[in-house]
Amino acid sequence: MRERAQRRRRRRPAAASLILAAAAASGVLAACSGPASDELVWYINPDTGGQAAIAKRCSTDEYTIKVQELPQAADQQRIQLARRLAAGDPAIDLMSLDPPFTAEFADAGYLADLPEDLVTKLRAQSLKGSVTAATWNGKLVVAPFWTNTQILWYRKSFAKKAGLNMTKPVTWDQIIQAADKNGGRVGVQANKYEGYAIWINALIAGAGGTLLTNAEKGADATITIDSPAGKAAAKVIQTLAHSKAAQPDLSVSQEGQVLAPFQSDRGAFQVNWTFVYGTYAGSPTAKDLGWAMYPRTEADKPARPPLGGIGIGVNSHSEKVGKAMKAVACITSPENQGIYASTDGNMPASAEGYKQPELTKKYPADLLALFQESVNAAAPRPATPYWSDVSSAIQSSWHPPSAVNEGTPAKSQKFIEDVLQGRRLL
Amino acid sequence: MKGKMGIQHWLGFAVILVWCLLPVVWIISLSFKSEAETTSGSPQFLPKEPTLDNYREILKDSDFTHALINSFGISLIATFLSVVLATLAAYAIARLDFRGKKLVLSLALAIAMFPVVSLVGPLFDMWRTVHLFNTWPGLIIPYMSFTLPLAIWTLAAFFREIPWEMEQAAQVDGATSWQAFRKVIVPLAAPGVFTAAILTFFFAWNEFVLAISLTSTTDARTVPAQMSFFVGPDPFNPPYSQLATASVIVTIPVIVIVLLFQRRIVAGLTSGAVKG
Amino acid sequence: MSTDAAAADAVRTADSPAKRPHKSDRAVAENRLGMKLVAPAVILMLLVTAWPMLQALYLSLFRYRLTQPDDREAVGLQNYLTVLGDSLFWKDLWNTVLIMIVTVAVELVIGFAFAMVMHRIVFGRGVMRTSILIPYGIITVVSAFAWQFAFSLNNGFVNAWFSWLPWIDSDTNWFGDHWHSMFAIMASEIWKTTPFMSLLLLAGLAQVSEDMIEAAKVDGATWWQRLWKVILPNMRSAIMVAVLFRALDAFRIFDNIYVMTRGAQDTESMSFLTYRQVIEQFQLGMGSALSVLLFLMVLILATLIVKLFRVNLAQARGEG
Repeated sequence: MRERAQRRRRRRPAAASLILAAAAASGVLAACSGPASDELVWYINPDTGGQAAIAKRCSTDEYTIKVQELPQAADQQRIQLARRLAAGDPAIDLMSLDPPFTAEFADAGYLADLPEDLVTKLRAQSLKGSVTAATWNGKLVVAPFWTNTQILWYRKSFAKKAGLNMTKPVTWDQIIQAADKNGGRVGVQANKYEGYAIWINALIAGAGGTLLTNAEKGADATITIDSPAGKAAAKVIQTLAHSKAAQPDLSVSQEGQVLAPFQSDRGAFQVNWTFVYGTYAGSPTAKDLGWAMYPRTEADKPARPPLGGIGIGVNSHSEKVGKAMKAVACITSPENQGIYASTDGNMPASAEGYKQPELTKKYPADLLALFQESVNAAAPRPATPYWSDVSSAIQSSWHPPSAVNEGTPAKSQKFIEDVLQGRRLL
Repeated sequence: MKGKMGIQHWLGFAVILVWCLLPVVWIISLSFKSEAETTSGSPQFLPKEPTLDNYREILKDSDFTHALINSFGISLIATFLSVVLATLAAYAIARLDFRGKKLVLSLALAIAMFPVVSLVGPLFDMWRTVHLFNTWPGLIIPYMSFTLPLAIWTLAAFFREIPWEMEQAAQVDGATSWQAFRKVIVPLAAPGVFTAAILTFFFAWNEFVLAISLTSTTDARTVPAQMSFFVGPDPFNPPYSQLATASVIVTIPVIVIVLLFQRRIVAGLTSGAVKG
Repeated sequence: MSTDAAAADAVRTADSPAKRPHKSDRAVAENRLGMKLVAPAVILMLLVTAWPMLQALYLSLFRYRLTQPDDREAVGLQNYLTVLGDSLFWKDLWNTVLIMIVTVAVELVIGFAFAMVMHRIVFGRGVMRTSILIPYGIITVVSAFAWQFAFSLNNGFVNAWFSWLPWIDSDTNWFGDHWHSMFAIMASEIWKTTPFMSLLLLAGLAQVSEDMIEAAKVDGATWWQRLWKVILPNMRSAIMVAVLFRALDAFRIFDNIYVMTRGAQDTESMSFLTYRQVIEQFQLGMGSALSVLLFLMVLILATLIVKLFRVNLAQARGEG
């Protein structure tokens, strides 16, 4: 023990004071200043820089718009925002909101009313699907900024090899069979996340069904997933998961994970958002890239593609609602929508936006027409303040895809009902 | 037994090194892969064409550099304050007789075992009401509470070994009590305080549950939390190589501390049970 | 100085007030000073633990959702009944216990092997100590990412390096099913915490007297017998302290799961379940009930381990 004490004595105490000094110095950094009165803070979903550029363009002498980036996953964006909005935090002015959570935010009173003239203008300019996605209880609660949709992307060479006529609507069965027989793969989003719920919703809508009705009753909404349409959706997932057309990482695949395999020798089909075209631009795949309407769940019913995008909402606790509304009008102008689409690959929420020269120069006309057709045919996720519960409940009863079978819709229906009534843990 | 090093010990030596360092080397290697390489799939261990792009990119990313500042600031302040309070408490425990001493030690132990997750709900609610949500103090306060037990126990163990009689001896030799404290006790206690500081810093630097629950922007978000929200230039693809780069950067302080103070850390961890 | 001595020391100082006769002014002053010195630390520790825990207890009696504050209603013990009657709760509890048992057992074996090597090794001690401290000091989130990438299908080396094993091929999706995911999570946990285990065991090993081992050797005991009859029994307290701390730590596993699977493939732990209810679903009522249950479980677990192994709490130190 004596020996240890001596050894310790040799240590320099100087190092300790170094830490203390550093602690004291960093204390100064802790003092943070709030946003300046002429600054609007816009919380954006991550993109490749387009929203930051718009923020710069829409800043005026009266105010500058500053962007703050939210996490990547949609459910994480909701969590980050809702926690601060619930706290009545005025440091958020503008928000880029994903459609499924718009209802929840509007219902909780987090969103400031859009002024009458802006609503009129937005209703006039926006695509039908875009308006649906931005509406809660019959009221336009956010300003449609861009509207996303999924289409079927395919390798032309593969479709030819498989002898599939892509000028006619195709069904899920057809593309899975074609890929399975010819060594190709079908890329989908089946990780346990929002994207999987999007796929399931599209499949069910494609079979003429819905996830739920009477959404305005909140937790007492009628769940309708246990239906022939639900079973048809389960059938598609089951077929893909057990065929050779499934990616080996099917159960964790998200939008990004399907991009690389699509470029490989086994690349055949993928359902994915509009950004895909820009991703492959300039790569060898570009020449072989084909596009078509989202696959049908049933041969005799039209496809109901997924709908996504962003609406701009204004925080009801913001101290600058008036300025923020002016900024919203600027951000969502068709011109900015068009520029944003050309830079970031996220398509406009208005027909006028689709006509912007920046966009028409960069994208083939038939693709732009397909995007608009797809948006108008799309089936949005049901607008309910409880969407995050419904979505999570669907994800847990339908994941992993390889475990989906005939009984899944019934099981899932019971589970969603129990969760909404607080009888089950999610 | 010293000097008898068989082949099995050499083998063991090699196994330990590989075990400890392989994942670290892997993450370093990954940080030198280009984004294009990881996007198209890159299962080989070493980068095809090593590049520094990731480091350049990430140091330009203001969200990440903010998080780094937050991490340093919050960890250092929490460490400093926690060690100060712990020093007072540990001195009392090692040197003084007072009622409730055992209770304090048991309380500290109980808190060291506390499931942090069960606090995030009520803490979130409390911090929201008193406006500490998403602020530095909002993290510093809980970090202090959870590092205090560690610091108190470590320091108490160190203080018990200090030959306090020397202080009186110095006073007898004519030193004032302040001189005796400064010249005799401080040099003896400093290594213990320092060790407690390192262990506390590691805890705060590593903490994740509170960091994701009690922050929501780069005003207070620390590196581990920022990494879990990390978005690369391609929003639809996990930025493998950039995450690896961020990992390497936050690991540098750890490696520096370990390189400089390995003996102290081992001594602190094992409560003076290891010789050397 | 040995752990036993430290323990004895701790007991002695803790008990000393009773032993020493003191009614003098000096003793009263000392008592007062002692209390004053520990007060700030104690108050702070209670502020962030005891107070929120009481709040959780209260909130757990309500059905209360952050985004629907108007619908808050008192439901008595309903939340507890719902939780305890739910298969998800038991599934997650089972996962947590499984992770705890497997990781602690594996760490104990590997950590002991490491400790044996470190104990015997003559040179390169500095290098070894440095390398063993790196996993200890590294951020858990970083460890989780490193292993997630290592196991990743398109960007990991595990499949490429180990495809000669019959159950691994280049298409093995480590996050595609329950057991593979659990394996990956445990690998990260074990990698990061084995060093801590081995250092504690090394400390215990240092106390086993070489003379006793030599004596056993002279008596003709095999290496195996020496290990079981001499070395391990003499390290009992070090092993128990290590198990106690690692077990409680493993029971709270969160970071690895959050980063690697986010609970997919049924890999949720108790901590993760609680976190999701409170922070992600804003179910403050239900989440608080889970918080209270989690706290009780840790308490029971700690008591069980202490009772079972008769660990002297005074010697157990405050490692987080």
